[in-house]
Amino acid sequence: MKTYILSFMSMLLLSSSLFAQNSMDFFEVQVDGLGCPFCAYGLEKKFKEFKGIKEVKIDIETGDFSFSYPSEKALSLKAVVLQVEKAGYSPMKTSIKRANGTTETDAPVNSDLSDIVAVVSQDIFVYGNCEMCEARILKATSRLVGVTEAAWDSKTKLLSISFDEKLLNKDAISKAVAAAGHDTKTHKTGAATYENLPMCCKYERVKK
Amino acid sequence: MKNRYQQLLITAVFALFSLTVLAQGPPITADKPIMLGGGSFTTKTLMEFRKTAMGQFNYVPIMLHYLPTSNSLVAIHIPYITYDLQDGSSGQSFADMKLLGKYQFIRIDGTGKTFRVVAKTLQTLPTGKELGVMELSSGLYQGYYGLVAGYESLRYGISVELGFNSIPQGDLDVLQHKLGFGLPLLKPQYPNRQINLFFEYNHQWLWEEKGYMLLYAQGIQYARKNITFDLAYQIPLVNDMPIQMDFKRSLFLGTRFTF
Repeated sequence: MKTYILSFMSMLLLSSSLFAQNSMDFFEVQVDGLGCPFCAYGLEKKFKEFKGIKEVKIDIETGDFSFSYPSEKALSLKAVVLQVEKAGYSPMKTSIKRANGTTETDAPVNSDLSDIVAVVSQDIFVYGNCEMCEARILKATSRLVGVTEAAWDSKTKLLSISFDEKLLNKDAISKAVAAAGHDTKTHKTGAATYENLPMCCKYERVKK
Repeated sequence: MKNRYQQLLITAVFALFSLTVLAQGPPITADKPIMLGGGSFTTKTLMEFRKTAMGQFNYVPIMLHYLPTSNSLVAIHIPYITYDLQDGSSGQSFADMKLLGKYQFIRIDGTGKTFRVVAKTLQTLPTGKELGVMELSSGLYQGYYGLVAGYESLRYGISVELGFNSIPQGDLDVLQHKLGFGLPLLKPQYPNRQINLFFEYNHQWLWEEKGYMLLYAQGIQYARKNITFDLAYQIPLVNDMPIQMDFKRSLFLGTRFTF
């Protein structure tokens, strides 16, 4: 009997915990201007004004800031962007995964592309080392009109990118990534841009 | 003339050095242009134990900083001072109260880096005893106006301040230049736990008395999420001041807490 009661209690706790997790919206913001750990504290402190905020994570190297917030409060994307600005930093890209499965984003990649008919996916070899490299590469691609999805793997060095081939091509993507500081097979970064990369991002360059 | 070469050499050395070090955490004796979010408070103290040709001064301020917006700051500094002068007199009193205002008007952000410039004013009220010791207790109204600029990144950083301190009723107007940079001994991380070394320079030109002084402060800081503990020792590298203002050394002990 005791075992049944314990099992019932455990299931009750588990189900309530799952329910609680399901009712949280998940927010991700790419924040520029976090030059030191104290800046990250300033950002977190400002967001603590949102009562009920959970799972706050800040990666100061990439500027990736994420948190969960009760979905019943329907925190808007605009309010999140405004709060980052009130903290004194620059919100670059914001996305929300709502508890009901919908997503919202202010990234230009998806904003005006409702009439996409020719999305293709390709891999581009991009030199880089770390998470800061990843943030820089993805930031460079997110600015390109026509990109719908992008991911870079620091182990394989492959940028997997989906884009509308009516608006963009592989060469233009490669050129934009190189301009941001990362060599590709077809485009090389300028020496000055490479020199300005943080130490951890200085990948080994292949001499021609 | 020799002093001028010495000044140029020192300036060149720390300008070169600043290109190679990392910067983290708020400086100790210098100032910074970064503000930590609108609507926040910081309580601080930076006790100074200063030895000059005039005697020993122990300065204990309580500071309250408030950020009404993300780009503005107002603060009040309420100090107390004890002194032991060479002429045998000693005592303790309320020192000069200070009102601080800052307004950030340039902000350029990038991933893991930021460049900011703030305008700054520090109004010193004549609430203290006339001890004639600069920045601590003069019993005279003083108005300071300056600019603070800073570049912070995860790779390196630097903060610079240039300003002018005017004393309408005295002859100790000062043109001041501060430069501070720091070296984190631990990898930058969040939640932050840091031990930082600071290298801070303070040039002071006495406008009317034609004096010049270059102070160097070596500091160390322990920082947790929203609190820091600071320790710095300041000595003159160049001391070309009127004899009664001859600066010997200062020890700083401080802490700050943001909420």
